[in-house]
Amino acid sequence: MTLLPLLRSDSAPGLAALVLCALLALAGCERAGDQPVMRIGYMNCNTEQETQARFLPLTRYLSDQTGIKFEAVPVNTEDFVERFSKGEFQFTHSNSFLYIILKEQQGLKLMAAEKRGRFGARTAGTIIARKGSGIETLADIRGKRMVFGPIMAPTGYLAQYDLMLRNGIDPEKDLAFYAIPSGSYKHEKLVYGLYYGQYDVAAAPALDLEVMAAEGKITPDDFVVLGQSPLVPYCTFGAAATVDVAVIAKVQQALLDLGPEAVAEVNGEELKVLKSAWIDGFEALLDSDYDPIRDMARRADMPPYQKY
Amino acid sequence: MPMRRDRFDLMHGTLLFVCIAGLSVVLLTEWPRPAAAVAQGGERALERELQSQARATLLQRLYGPVEELRQQGKTANALLKLDELERTYPGEAHGLMLKGEILAGMGALEPAAASFAAGVRRNGDYIDEKFPLSRRAAVSRLVADGLPVIIEGTRRNPESRDLGLALKNLRYLQSRLAGGCE
Repeated sequence: MTLLPLLRSDSAPGLAALVLCALLALAGCERAGDQPVMRIGYMNCNTEQETQARFLPLTRYLSDQTGIKFEAVPVNTEDFVERFSKGEFQFTHSNSFLYIILKEQQGLKLMAAEKRGRFGARTAGTIIARKGSGIETLADIRGKRMVFGPIMAPTGYLAQYDLMLRNGIDPEKDLAFYAIPSGSYKHEKLVYGLYYGQYDVAAAPALDLEVMAAEGKITPDDFVVLGQSPLVPYCTFGAAATVDVAVIAKVQQALLDLGPEAVAEVNGEELKVLKSAWIDGFEALLDSDYDPIRDMARRADMPPYQKY
Repeated sequence: MPMRRDRFDLMHGTLLFVCIAGLSVVLLTEWPRPAAAVAQGGERALERELQSQARATLLQRLYGPVEELRQQGKTANALLKLDELERTYPGEAHGLMLKGEILAGMGALEPAAASFAAGVRRNGDYIDEKFPLSRRAAVSRLVADGLPVIIEGTRRNPESRDLGLALKNLRYLQSRLAGGCE
């Protein structure tokens, strides 16, 4: 078969078909040369801009180490499960509560837990009061005004809610009221809300207290820690069940090997990956290490075990 | 037939002579020690003792509020207070030992082992029973209770580098408790 008849001047449709074939072939070549793109959904802690600034170097590092092209997708906490279900991203970086929800509901695979602060890959929730307020023990918080962190925060809401239940205090009945701050920087807002007298008691993540004290934003002497939850895993990297096992292993290894000196280029600048992401490193945990969060969620009647 | 002496014999002879001369000088000057030198040595020992007591008193005063909070069961507050002190006295062995004790009490075995090991590396006196600020009992407790847990943890999760490091730290503490060398 020859293409020559198509090139005749009186065969315009034939010429168009030839051009189209050539264009398609060229486009096919470009696609074949392209690396497959995989997306990592990063849970926003405060703002989308902050998430991008924190995690772009890590995303670049993972691309450099694995040869796979990764893209960072900032995701709001409340949209995380839905967007993951729709397949908008194949890898997840979220808090440990979202990890167990996605694990139970969609078979998310555990890759590594993030290390930050004095407890490494684990952290806790605390209930605090202002020093000198007369509130000295958990029993004293009955009838008081309390502020929690966001509802999906394992150590800003769930851990404290559970701690109260285990101490015979029903947050729904035994407080004057409880509130959750709006907008970004919720954990900091609730600490300041307590400090300036808007609330009597606050549910603060132990890590936020540690960081705020280290940054000189608060003085530990100004607060009384009334109770602290058991230690539970901190933020967690996961992969969709559909991702190739070899790819997961490659990314997992790159995360576990990540040291403080590792750098990645972002907008022509070489940035330290861990420092940019506010992370001390990554640790290999077992899924059973997340059982304390599962127990908390069951006791507090929260997803993925919610009954009523 | 008379034995011939070569240059090696001469070298050995000279070396022997230098050694004997050196030893004689040392013996003549150091033994018996002059009374002044003995007194000076005693003074130094006294100074060392004074320094060590002053240090112990200062540490007890500085870290007293942390101890107090810990004894009241306010461990989270105690840790925050320690953070504050850490900024003024970074890497102080006493702070590291106290932190290890508090973390161990919270069940945070891996960071507790790391803190104790760092403290003992900085000042080995903390595992000496006779040391006024000794934390030997607390370190022994962590080794006895923590070692089986960490060994089991590494068996279940051999990929965990934190557990591997904790095991290394506990083994180090175990050897120091037994009086082994570093």
